Amino acid sequence: MAVTANILSTDLNGLILQNPIITASGTYGYNCEYDDFIDVSKLGAVVTKAISLRPRAGNKNIRIMETKAGIINSIGLENVGIEKFLTEKLPVLQSKHINFIVNIAGSTIDEYIELSKVCEANKIKTIELNVSCPNVKSGCLEFGTDESSLYELVNEVRKIYNGFLIIKLTPNVTSIEKIGLAAQKAGANAVSAINTLKGSSIKLNLIKGKFQKEIISGGYSGTGIKPVAINAVLRLSKVLNIPIIGIGGIENLDDVLEFFAAGAEAVQIGTANFTHPDIAEKLLFELSEYIKINGFKDLDDLKKELRA
Amino acid sequence: MINTNTKKIFTSKVSKIEKIAESSYLIEIECNFPLSVIPGQFISVYCDGLTLRRPFSVFSTNENKIGILFKERGKGTRYIKSLKQGDFIDIAGPFGNGFNIKNQKSLLIGAGIGIAPVAFLKSRLEELKIPNLLISGFLNKFEVPKNIIIDKICTDDGSLGEKGSVLNYLGQTINEFKPEVIYACGPSVVLKTIAKTGKTFDIETQVAMEKVMACGIGVCRGCVIDIRKDGKVINAAVCKDGPVFKGDEVVWQ
Repeated sequence: MAVTANILSTDLNGLILQNPIITASGTYGYNCEYDDFIDVSKLGAVVTKAISLRPRAGNKNIRIMETKAGIINSIGLENVGIEKFLTEKLPVLQSKHINFIVNIAGSTIDEYIELSKVCEANKIKTIELNVSCPNVKSGCLEFGTDESSLYELVNEVRKIYNGFLIIKLTPNVTSIEKIGLAAQKAGANAVSAINTLKGSSIKLNLIKGKFQKEIISGGYSGTGIKPVAINAVLRLSKVLNIPIIGIGGIENLDDVLEFFAAGAEAVQIGTANFTHPDIAEKLLFELSEYIKINGFKDLDDLKKELRA
Repeated sequence: MINTNTKKIFTSKVSKIEKIAESSYLIEIECNFPLSVIPGQFISVYCDGLTLRRPFSVFSTNENKIGILFKERGKGTRYIKSLKQGDFIDIAGPFGNGFNIKNQKSLLIGAGIGIAPVAFLKSRLEELKIPNLLISGFLNKFEVPKNIIIDKICTDDGSLGEKGSVLNYLGQTINEFKPEVIYACGPSVVLKTIAKTGKTFDIETQVAMEKVMACGIGVCRGCVIDIRKDGKVINAAVCKDGPVFKGDEVVWQ
């Protein structure tokens, strides 16, 4: 029987994905929520919503505001917690053969360690450490902005967790190279870049001489952050040996190619899932067609030319 | 590639766009397949260049057409208004939980453009021969949409029907019509009063809520409100757990 070679096969230094299109944490739920739009099992991987040790109710007040070129969110890591994830969400991922990456978020090193232990015990093959959420008061972002704290955190997690370990980096730093190098040195298998930018927006409404204000401060995402993300990937690719997963404002195939050209081995689609819930599958199809039409052998061949 | 008949996203042609009141419009979209929608459910529209799709309660479904009402308010609705017959429009849905239709005497209340889902519900109740009364409030006579059967109209300025808010006539209408269930859609402050009034009269209320949404399917948690379930206050996503909630479950702000 003839075996058709998968031209989109993506090797992230040991983690083999069927293709480089991944959906980003917080935009895709826990498992098959997008089944109404696409066949989720076709994707390279789905990154779960960030999961904490205990369930979190998230933030009060305004959680979403649209801006000129994206959105600001202040969800505050609302999630079901690891226990419910394991009993209710994980079995669906497994039974539907969805490739997945579990995103975990803690506020202390101990919480990350505990979460990693649970992932290890449950044979979860890939985790992404959220060390960069701008919406929670303690922890999280602190680890992502300080190279020695991050080194310590990743080092501790590495001792316990034997699977593929991805660190999601924040752009809200002076030198993303230093943070990336700390993650690599501590034993991370890959980095994903970038998480949201810190952003705020004030919506003003003049009613009878008084301003009614709606204020949001949180994570800025969407098409507007792409140049920041490309810059981060370019800089990281100059100093890191581990693969980079590019994230930030991807909306179409040109954006995907731009991330590959900058040095990303795979990409994550985030906010665009809200705009076009079937976009991940569309990009998959378009990438495959692009390779064939333009006479590239496969994805690796295309990446080589993009970086030549 | 994608079988649009089974997926909840499709691009379709605008079959009609019509002004129905001051800055309010009806847009009908073709869909070449049966679309089963429960009144209270919504669809989301991609608006060219905007990050967030805009949610709209379904107003009508007939002959493989789906209709929504909208009021021109911002960038999203300005885009939809700019569409012409024959233009393509990117639609997703239907989403959410609609009204739980009871075989009981029904009072329907719509405030402003919130009339869309309750007018749709009324047509469903008529088909089911369930006795009902639709009362609807508007700012003035120019805001009252044409071609919608409304049993009782109120306008803030008294330019058509009864003068004042729909809420001013709530108690009186309940006493006269004696409904067993109340369905409502409109601004949160109006729904809050309706829910409280329902409680006072010991009548079940079902309210269709509105909130800025990002995903429309419950994953982003951007549109949550507080509801009370089994004595505990929990988050509920308006898009997925709603938009219709029982009035006495909502923790009103």
